[in-house]
Amino acid sequence: MNASVKLGIVLLLSLEISFTKSISLNCLLVISSLIYLLGKKINLKNFIYTACIPLLPAFGSWSSIYFYGTGDNHHMAWVMFSRIFAYVWLGATLTLTTHIDEILKALEQNVKLPNTFVYGMLAAFNFIPKIGQEIKTIKIAAQMRGVTLHFWSPQIFFKAILTSLRWSNNLAQAMTSHGFSEGAPRTYYQVMPIPTWNMGVALCIILIVQLYLMYPLWP
Amino acid sequence: MTSLALSNLTIEYPTEHQNISVITDTSLTFVEPSFNLLIGPSGSGKSTFLKALAGLYPEYGSNVTGTILLDDQPITTYSIQQRTKKIGMLFQNPSEQFAMTTPLHEIIFTLENLSLTASEIDERAQYALAFVGISHLAHRQLKTLSGGEAQKVALAVVLAMQSDIILLDEPFASVDPLARLDLLTKLKELVKRGHTIIISDHDLAGYQNLAPNLFAIEAHQVKKITPAPALFKPFNTLQANFTLPPANAEIVLNAPSLQITTGQTKLLATENFNLLKNKMTLLTGPNGVGKSTLFGALTKLHPYTGSIFYLDQNIKKIKTPQYARQVALIFQQAEMQFLKMTLKEELELSLKYANYPELWSETKLTEVLAFLNMAEMQDHIIYQLSGGQKKKLQILIMLIIGTPVLLLDEPLAGLDLASVDRIMSLIKQMTRKQNQTVLMISHQLTGIPDYFDYHLVFNHQSITYEEVL
Repeated sequence: MNASVKLGIVLLLSLEISFTKSISLNCLLVISSLIYLLGKKINLKNFIYTACIPLLPAFGSWSSIYFYGTGDNHHMAWVMFSRIFAYVWLGATLTLTTHIDEILKALEQNVKLPNTFVYGMLAAFNFIPKIGQEIKTIKIAAQMRGVTLHFWSPQIFFKAILTSLRWSNNLAQAMTSHGFSEGAPRTYYQVMPIPTWNMGVALCIILIVQLYLMYPLWP
Repeated sequence: MTSLALSNLTIEYPTEHQNISVITDTSLTFVEPSFNLLIGPSGSGKSTFLKALAGLYPEYGSNVTGTILLDDQPITTYSIQQRTKKIGMLFQNPSEQFAMTTPLHEIIFTLENLSLTASEIDERAQYALAFVGISHLAHRQLKTLSGGEAQKVALAVVLAMQSDIILLDEPFASVDPLARLDLLTKLKELVKRGHTIIISDHDLAGYQNLAPNLFAIEAHQVKKITPAPALFKPFNTLQANFTLPPANAEIVLNAPSLQITTGQTKLLATENFNLLKNKMTLLTGPNGVGKSTLFGALTKLHPYTGSIFYLDQNIKKIKTPQYARQVALIFQQAEMQFLKMTLKEELELSLKYANYPELWSETKLTEVLAFLNMAEMQDHIIYQLSGGQKKKLQILIMLIIGTPVLLLDEPLAGLDLASVDRIMSLIKQMTRKQNQTVLMISHQLTGIPDYFDYHLVFNHQSITYEEVL
């Protein structure tokens, strides 16, 4: 499925559950996401990770509303609890199945996101794995000169900022020298069209959710 | 074909107080197609000049006055797309010229920028990768490529753009002699196909047969000079013999069994790596074989399996801060080693932690700075020094520390022959006085073998002492 459509569905549903109070809808969304991800054969580690991440924030909002809330606080506590799980699992249907490259490039083509933003983000993601190693190298390089840098040392931030300035300048220069210019028209090697069936499925999902909200099986 | 001419070109580097001239009032025409070689001492402005020709200024730093004419039109009138179709550039630092993660993605990104269709992109990408001989690297992660491989990718990108004029800024600084020769042959082939090549280099090995037009930067001006055979001579006699180490030699670092891998690739599986104490050893080997990664393992920067011993003690059992004071590395990237803002502050910091401060008196330091042509630079901001000057300063501040073992990763990249000779004699003199062991990776071999006691070769996943270069 096209990444832009997927992102659209996830955003719309998340927005919708922010304003509704149906525990069963939240649960249904979690279950549907789970089935979808099972179908996509996501590895077990990611699965467990996604299951555990929402625990703490969900428990936090549940307990604060359950114990200190007013009005229909017990119901609301469970709404919040299930809502946070729903957010995370909905998000996972996108991030665990689609590479960031694909999401950004789809957004560039389908929603006309500015190319500077797209390639800036892409480059930033490409740099993430380098950061940890860079910090380690900065520390050992300083130790070789007799200076121990701790994570609170201003110098480590100074060096890290210098490094990122250098990276960003080099990157901009590299992109320019490879013909990239802000806002200029470019072609796409991999065209990412939105097939009609994608829109159909999106529409169905949204409709089903609306219908369910009108005729809920359970509060 | 595209013509390139300069009239009254002046390039200035803006600083806080005044503008520093790098190139003044230069007028030139480059013949098309032709092979052009630009020489000049470290810091004379070769990189700046090439970047100006590539149209990267004023956007990325310096101010340019005068005109650069590309096909008789000022370069400033071209859009970035039009410009890159005519003139392409390879940078000094191979790892810093890519925005994507694999060679193929980088080529696709570039050609999308030039608004080509998917089938044109396929065709050009295949051609460019095959011409440079790196089709097998198309899907490799760029960060796992060696310096030489990365430069080949950069060349492939420029070829895919079909730029008529190709600028190369010391592209071979971290490329081994074989790969270098290979690339030079490719470049010559491109000239035959109608490209104009302008290349800056310190190391003139391999150029004489290519009969380049020679340009030199003298007194801030780029001038055409006649290629005298004497100029190439020091680079043509590359033969050296070393002795093999004696069996009972004293050893400072050894690894009875060591395995290093990067990504999926096994780089090293050696049974007997020994480094001899208080000797200077040269480490050579083809690009991508894993020399820098070996240094990473020896300094605990890169993971490895097996064990490494420093003076019979497993380095995993020595605390990192302590170990870093025993075995220090001069990084390929000079800036990595700097912690302060000015040259003077850097020297003071190193003196504070020097193992032999008595050897580095104020008079000695003044003398050394003058010897390295850096006497007037005490208050300069280090990040504004040229590539060669940064390199010299980096080596100096690490020599002052005087750790028992000093590993040097391509310390001579970007230095002219005179600077190489000076820096090598300084290393030799001071490391002997400070009882240091030196292990140096270098691709630039001209004029340096005499300084070394032994020669290690890293190839086919093993490291051995060898007699010939």
